[in-house]
Amino acid sequence: MGILQVEKLNKSFGGLVAVHDFNIVVEKGEIVGLIGPNGAGKTTLFNMVACFYSPDSGRVVFEGRDMSGMRPYQVCALGIARTFQVTKPFVNNTVLENVMVGAFSRTRNAREARSRALEVLELVEFEQYKDALGSELTTADHKRLELARALATHPKLLLLDETMAGLNPAEKLHLLTLLRRIRDRGMTLVVVEHDMKAVMILCERIILMNRGEKLVEGTPQQVANNQQAIAAYLGEDYATT
Amino acid sequence: MSKPDTTRVEGIEAGKGRRFSLGWWVVGAVGLLFLIIPFFVHDPYFLHIFVLMFLFAYLGTAWSLVSMAGQLSLGHAALMGIGGYTSTLLFMELGVTPWLGMWLGAILCGLVGVIIGYPAFRLRGPYFALTSIAFAEILRIYVENTEVGPLGIPLKAAMGLLVPLKGHAPWLFQFDSKIPYYYIAFLMMGAAVGLSFLINRSRSGFYLAAIRSDQDAAESLGINSLKYKLIAMAISCILTALGGTFYAQYFRYINPERAMGLSMSVEIALVGVVGGWQTVLGPTIGSLLLSPSGELVRAYFGGTYAGLHLFLYGLLLMVVILFLPNGINDPLVRAFKRLETKLGEAKKVRKETSPPGTRRRDKP
Amino acid sequence: MSFELIASALIMGLMLGGLYAAVSISLSLIFGIIRVINFAHGAFLMLAMYASFWLWYFFQMDPYLSIIIVTPLFFVFGYAVQQLLIRPMFVREKALVVEPLGVLLLTAGLDLVLSNLALLCFKSDYRAVVLPMASTTLPLGFLDLNLPRSIVFLLSFVIAGVLYWLLNYTEMGVAIRSVGQNREAAALCGVNVYKIYSLTFGIGTAALAMAGAGMVPFYYVNPSMGLSLGVKSFIVVVLGGLGSVPGALIGGLILGVVESVTAQFVTATSSVIFSFLLFIIVLFIRPKGIMGMLEA
Repeated sequence: MGILQVEKLNKSFGGLVAVHDFNIVVEKGEIVGLIGPNGAGKTTLFNMVACFYSPDSGRVVFEGRDMSGMRPYQVCALGIARTFQVTKPFVNNTVLENVMVGAFSRTRNAREARSRALEVLELVEFEQYKDALGSELTTADHKRLELARALATHPKLLLLDETMAGLNPAEKLHLLTLLRRIRDRGMTLVVVEHDMKAVMILCERIILMNRGEKLVEGTPQQVANNQQAIAAYLGEDYATT
Repeated sequence: MSKPDTTRVEGIEAGKGRRFSLGWWVVGAVGLLFLIIPFFVHDPYFLHIFVLMFLFAYLGTAWSLVSMAGQLSLGHAALMGIGGYTSTLLFMELGVTPWLGMWLGAILCGLVGVIIGYPAFRLRGPYFALTSIAFAEILRIYVENTEVGPLGIPLKAAMGLLVPLKGHAPWLFQFDSKIPYYYIAFLMMGAAVGLSFLINRSRSGFYLAAIRSDQDAAESLGINSLKYKLIAMAISCILTALGGTFYAQYFRYINPERAMGLSMSVEIALVGVVGGWQTVLGPTIGSLLLSPSGELVRAYFGGTYAGLHLFLYGLLLMVVILFLPNGINDPLVRAFKRLETKLGEAKKVRKETSPPGTRRRDKP
Repeated sequence: MSFELIASALIMGLMLGGLYAAVSISLSLIFGIIRVINFAHGAFLMLAMYASFWLWYFFQMDPYLSIIIVTPLFFVFGYAVQQLLIRPMFVREKALVVEPLGVLLLTAGLDLVLSNLALLCFKSDYRAVVLPMASTTLPLGFLDLNLPRSIVFLLSFVIAGVLYWLLNYTEMGVAIRSVGQNREAAALCGVNVYKIYSLTFGIGTAALAMAGAGMVPFYYVNPSMGLSLGVKSFIVVVLGGLGSVPGALIGGLILGVVESVTAQFVTATSSVIFSFLLFIIVLFIRPKGIMGMLEA
């Protein structure tokens, strides 16, 4: 019984099936990678776990609690935080203020929220930008900001949607180490990424999605050798079966 | 100390403290000035203009609380009307002093605000703005055409209510001189601005800023956006209703056209928009600029050219939106910061005892 | 409650509803494509009616004939408003942060400007066109239907039909709909989004002007009438679903019937409260409206 269980999740938008009969169990303290071509349904899955969408059928269970019918804002109190694929920073506020909004989910006191926010910024090595306005940052900075903001809510489960997009290899390596450190502090991570190398290094378990369905699940090695995975990413011609 | 919506001129490396010290000195000085004006100015017409200035600063600040939640209300006059009518009717029919009656009006208004806000705030889109206009207009039409309302309450239709004149009766919220009204309005304005300031730097203020910036992101951080919008609306309604009672007691007359009409709603909104509609001091600054000029236009031209001042208000609203969407607040704050920096530089230069006339162009 | 009374209330309601529909369709169209609520909608209507009135007053032109002049005139007017006033807001939106409420305030200011300009120029006297045909009635069973009102009722269907045809069976209509659905994608397909916006606004205003001219034979003209009808049209478009032309048609008819029927039981002004209640109920139960097409 893991920290997160997704049971037979289904979601369609009109005639388009986004997620189909999806099952997954995430154990506490794992780093799970969620990969797949664009449009595979990864973000839709995240949205359902974070209760932004409600599934057509199936359910999401977090720490033993059925999340059916919950509103998005209730999810944070339970301990799930997420970032967005297309970043959503608060552009009229400074980085510090952005992160403080996250910190306020655990305290009412402004001073306390401020110090927690500063702590988090130091953790993600972003504190030198604390007074920069959201509108002054690059997209990669926005991703870092969202990570900090999510971390400030002291989550147990962190859903990261393409946090590495736009980073150069050195930055990516840096982020990988950071994410490891975050996990070592007791968090569970589910990460959506497109950079295969990074995913292989970071994740202990990988799930490959395509067209809303789970195709392959296993260790990085297992997935890399799996013919279906190769077919999904590179096309049928490259698969040997 | 951090005003979420202040724009910054310096770049990322600035990192200077965001103490707005020069601004606070100015605010304090102006406030002090207002306090002592009645000792020097005795002309009732001038005092009247100040009362209007404070009243609209108050109303604008109350209105801006809803804007801080990212919603636009163009029907706030209706709330003023509810407040004014409630306290006045309670006084006329039951002899309840407006000092008490106004709180009943405020509570009633808060409830009304929550009820009409609830369905609209759940939705994305202009629904609340539409609702506010529809509500205000329909309420106005109803009151304007109803002599006697439900429960036999005499609404007096378009004639409005005349507050029974009691001469100088402080316990009945009536004074025969403008000066008490002046100070009451000043206090109300101060209280509203103070409240707005406190809200802004509290968790609620951060949450409201988050909601209006990006509601999805806000919700993902645990913010119940509906709840906070309703809280902002309720507080705004309560304050506006109290303002309605003041209005009724000051003019000793209240009618649907003036108190509930669209023009009043727009005046309230305009004061906020001109000064900076999602900021703490914005509406006050807006009122400082608009109220005197608006009153003068109305006084000189109102008779011959009915509607001229509204025409000008509409024009001003359009111009401000097109060219200064955040109101005067932004350029003003920038100017202050430049002034602050220059003063800071001047101090530094003095400390380092450079010869007078030497100007350091490059900052360390 | 006799059958005749209720039937006549229903029929009157439908006629009234036709008027509401005719006036509201363009508001819904404009929102559906440009995502802008034109708060000056009522003022535009008022101006169109004045235009038709003055054409009758100075040139003895039949209001129905004036449609020929008023419609293209107001197409230009609407086009200009979008192009000159609203478009800069969209352009700025790209540079800075999105400020959707800014356009609302802008059009609210425009409403004030136009209404009071009319007040200053035309004074607040109520004007009415005097036409012999205005009191002609059409017999319908035991009822006599007022001819001009019946014409407006039919006109609402004509407007809805023409717009429907325009949107679904012309190339321009496809472009307009595409912009309404996804303006970035449309731009990538070579559609000049801003031009489409101006076109749509122009078409909507022209349709509104047509309705206004049709109303002149039986409706008084006055600077303040824009607001009350404007508010009604807000209710109608929410009822029918923001962005849906057939929805506005149906919504208008429903609102007319509701007002007419409730006016049998309470005073006419109190029946206006029921309109607002209907509005609130719709927001509660089915915010997308009857033919709701857009995400609430």
